[in-house]
Amino acid sequence: MLVVTCPVCGIEGEEADFHYGGQAHVRRPATTDPVNIKDEEQRDYLFIRHNPKGLHFERWRCDRGCGKWFHAARDTVTMDFKAYYGITEMPPLELQQQAKGTWADYFKSVAKAK
Amino acid sequence: MLEARFESPLAGREVPADTYVSMREISERGMIDLRGSAADRKFMATAKSALGVDLPKQPRTTATWGDVRVFWLSPDQWLITCPRAKAQEMADQLSQDLAGVHSLAINVSDMRAVIRLEGEGVREVVMKGTAIDLTHGDYPPGTVRRMRFAEVAALLHIVEDNVIDIYVFRSFAQYTWDFLRKAARKGTEVRIFPKAG
Ligand SMILES: [Zn+2]
Repeated sequence: MLVVTCPVCGIEGEEADFHYGGQAHVRRPATTDPVNIKDEEQRDYLFIRHNPKGLHFERWRCDRGCGKWFHAARDTVTMDFKAYYGITEMPPLELQQQAKGTWADYFKSVAKAK
Repeated sequence: MLEARFESPLAGREVPADTYVSMREISERGMIDLRGSAADRKFMATAKSALGVDLPKQPRTTATWGDVRVFWLSPDQWLITCPRAKAQEMADQLSQDLAGVHSLAINVSDMRAVIRLEGEGVREVVMKGTAIDLTHGDYPPGTVRRMRFAEVAALLHIVEDNVIDIYVFRSFAQYTWDFLRKAARKGTEVRIFPKAG
C-alpha cells in the first residue's frame, strides 16, 4: 500500500484514497494539423509508455479529497515518492537530471524546445 | 395539486440509546455548492459581500458568519451551509450577484444527509471507518475534508473536539447511519487512542 500526499490540499492518505492516472507528461501529437499526423505518432501517444526501473513520473488524482489532479515522481523499485508537483508543472530540476533512459531523453527534448 | 415536499433520508430514525457517543441526523441544514476561481478577485469579493465572510483559501478550513458556514473543498469549490429555509434564496442571490463572473452557485440541500456525532470518543468512532488519524494535531475544530468513510465518499467536519458532522450522499444515508450505529455501540470502545491535541 502506497501512502500518497496531495500537493493541492495537503492530505496524506492511503493509495485507495487516490486514483492513479498513468504516465505523466504524455504529449498529444500537434493537433493543429490532425490529418497529417503520422500513424506512428498517434500510436505512441495512445499506447507507448515508459516502464523504467527506478525514477518514474506519474499522474494521480486526489479522489477522496479535493478532487484535483497532480503529478508525482516515484521510484518504482523502492516505491518511494520523490516529489509531488502541480498538474501543469514539470518535475523539480534535480529530478529531471536524475532521470535515466527515455525520461532523460524526454526532459532534454523539452529543454531544447524552450 | 401535489406539492414537492422534502423528506429526510433518515426520517423516523430514533436516536439510538445503545451507543457510547450520541448520534442524530441534522435534517434542517441547507447546502449550496459554489464554484469559481480563488484567483478571480471579482468572484472572491462578490462572494464575500453575499455571504458576509471571505471564502477560505486555506485548504481544509472553514469560515463562519452567523448561521452561514463555508467549507473549503478545493481551490475552486466551496460548500456553503446555512439554514435549509434560506438556501434557495441565498443561492439565487449568489447567482444574481455573480452574473458575468465565471462561477456557479447551486442549491444542493437535498443531495446529502448530515449525521452528527457527539461525545467523548467521537474521533475513535469515526476512525473505525477510515485510515485517517484524527487524534493527530492536524484535525483541530473547524477542519473539514472529504474522505473515504466505510468505503463511501463522505465529508468530515470537526465542529468541536468532541462533535463531528459526517456528510454523505443521500443514497448512502441509511448505510452510513447503520455503520455508525454499530461502530458506536456500547461495549465496543477501543480506548487505545490518545486524546486529540
Ligand atoms: Zn487533494
